[in-house]
Amino acid sequence: MADRTIGTGRTTRRVALAGMGGAVAAPALLRSAWAAEAVNVGVAVPLSGANAQFGVNSRNGIELVADQVNAAGGIKALGGAKINLVIADSTSTPTSAANVAQRMITQNRVSAILGAFASSLTIAISEVTERRDVPLLTMSFADQVTGRGFKNVFQVVAKASAIGAAQFDGTLAIAKAAGQTLERVAIMYEDTAYGTAQAVGLRDGAKKAGVQLVMDDAYPLGITDVTPLINKLRASGAQAVFPVSYLSDSLQIIRVMRQQGITIPAIGGAAGYVIPDFEKGLGEFAEGVLSISPANYDLAPELTDAFRKRYGYFMVHEALEHAVCMDVLVQAIEKAGKADPASVRNALAGGRFEGGWTKAMTGGAVQFDAAGLNTLSVPVMVQWRQKELVTVWPDQFAKGKAVWKS
Amino acid sequence: MLALIQALADGVMIGGVYAVISIGLTLVFGVMGIVNFAQAEFLMLGMFAAWFLWAYVGLDPLLAAPIAFVLVGGLGMLTQELLLRRVMHAPPVAQIFLTVGLLIVLENGALLVFGSDYRSVSTPYQAQALKLGPIFVSVPYLLAFVASAISGLALWFFLRASPYGRAMRATAQDPMAARLSGIDADAMRRLAFGLGVGLTAFGGAVILPYLTVSPTVGGQFVVLMFTVVVIGGLGSIAGAVVGGLFVGIVQSLSGLVFPIQLQNLVLFCVFIAVLALRPEGLLGARR
Repeated sequence: MADRTIGTGRTTRRVALAGMGGAVAAPALLRSAWAAEAVNVGVAVPLSGANAQFGVNSRNGIELVADQVNAAGGIKALGGAKINLVIADSTSTPTSAANVAQRMITQNRVSAILGAFASSLTIAISEVTERRDVPLLTMSFADQVTGRGFKNVFQVVAKASAIGAAQFDGTLAIAKAAGQTLERVAIMYEDTAYGTAQAVGLRDGAKKAGVQLVMDDAYPLGITDVTPLINKLRASGAQAVFPVSYLSDSLQIIRVMRQQGITIPAIGGAAGYVIPDFEKGLGEFAEGVLSISPANYDLAPELTDAFRKRYGYFMVHEALEHAVCMDVLVQAIEKAGKADPASVRNALAGGRFEGGWTKAMTGGAVQFDAAGLNTLSVPVMVQWRQKELVTVWPDQFAKGKAVWKS
Repeated sequence: MLALIQALADGVMIGGVYAVISIGLTLVFGVMGIVNFAQAEFLMLGMFAAWFLWAYVGLDPLLAAPIAFVLVGGLGMLTQELLLRRVMHAPPVAQIFLTVGLLIVLENGALLVFGSDYRSVSTPYQAQALKLGPIFVSVPYLLAFVASAISGLALWFFLRASPYGRAMRATAQDPMAARLSGIDADAMRRLAFGLGVGLTAFGGAVILPYLTVSPTVGGQFVVLMFTVVVIGGLGSIAGAVVGGLFVGIVQSLSGLVFPIQLQNLVLFCVFIAVLALRPEGLLGARR
């Protein structure tokens, strides 16, 4: 503030002093303007490290909704209280994520925490929020998130095992519609909570369908050479491959597959496969790549276009789901009429939330069960077409027909 | 058998790149006696230099590599003059603190300036491979290998045949005697550090076509680089080459037998075995 005053044209000492005085006083003035009513909401997402890109997307989605709510007059039940986002970098390591959550609770007195995209981080944060009885709303989907009987965690999307199973079932359905019966498939996944959990779902799906798994390999996140993995894939004779990866690894996998002339369909496991950077990094090689996704922006363009307008890229699923988290939280505070963590938690538990951003989810609403899992959400299959993601499965949500090249 | 040849070919190519990014580290140690923990951050800077040249000038990362070498090399000479020179005769602990501090400053500075995004380039040869019978040779790997080999040979020639190279080797052998013979040891150290980090940056630029760059990319390479130079023999250039190829091949071959997750476990088991049997490294001089 002082800088801006000093920077404009001729500067007198008086102007500079006034500006500096204003700058010193501003925080105090602002605080007194909304200290009594603003609702602090913690946003712990990875803004650095391996998952930073996803964290930025998540934050954008949350900011969009918070600004919408504030612009529409804030939280009505609290006399128009504004939402104040406390955004912190959870980094990409679980220990610091837990520390960040701890600090938000003790220093910022947050009503709830949203985050943290990566399941391993969310699990670390949930240990803290459970201990301190602060609700945690998340779109991380490793089975452990809601599988430990915690009372303060609320997940708006389906579980990883369900997503893995859908990744498999959807692929079978799409292949069948194109006249191919799959007999041999390969799976490869990054070895943190997200990849391993989703691989379980894929494995179960394959077992149920009687499809042979000719390759089932984990690889370390942050891998710098995927060639051995792809050599193995080529030798395996698989008819389709299910890679579950974040961004850097997904780019390497598709590139090396193309290098070796492997043209079997690749069906990604969300994360790295459903963000604009995937297409930016691969260009034409992205075309036709399929992926499972817990949600997709083309199901509710009337809501998600606001995101594209503001940030200049399509509303990626983690942004969309975090937006839903924010909306559900606001609805819960409205319902509770209070913003303390315990009241908010009670309003969330077993609750049903409709309207607003929940319409963008496949269930059209959000309904939490006793474990805090949204029972209405089902994943969809999406496919890259001309730099956009088109929902192609299941049929009741499909916006286009899947292209399957065997 | 085919799988073995394929794995060997992949291992040699990836190992060639490991060699060139590690030569810088071993050169700095050999001439200056300093272990530069920030070396991998200069790799990151080289990758960023190449990325920006690709994004804004449209230069292929392989052509941008010499520019990255000059830019980062210059920065390295500045670093030597302003920072490292002050701890040349300080206790090793001070040297370690300085280079580790440099690592933290460079990584977080990059986060501040570039943001934490992963950036990747797209080049026409990125998804191509040569087919030699049943063996695939990835074009980006091959190009990175060739560029690495050329730069490695150039360095070798420089050290062998040019007067500067001879002076540099003399400084490495005995700084006092070198100074008595009229060699400016400070200038040699500046040159060595600039060359060392410049080469690593060069390596960063040539691997960009098949990887992505982010401010934290150094972390993926730092342990690998130290493994390479210690296996080869700390301070030995030929050792870094042998060590690089060795590490690349071990990583690639282990993928044939073990799950890829265990790639580095296998590598470090071999590493421990090498240290136990030849503590001075494969090509290191016995002390």
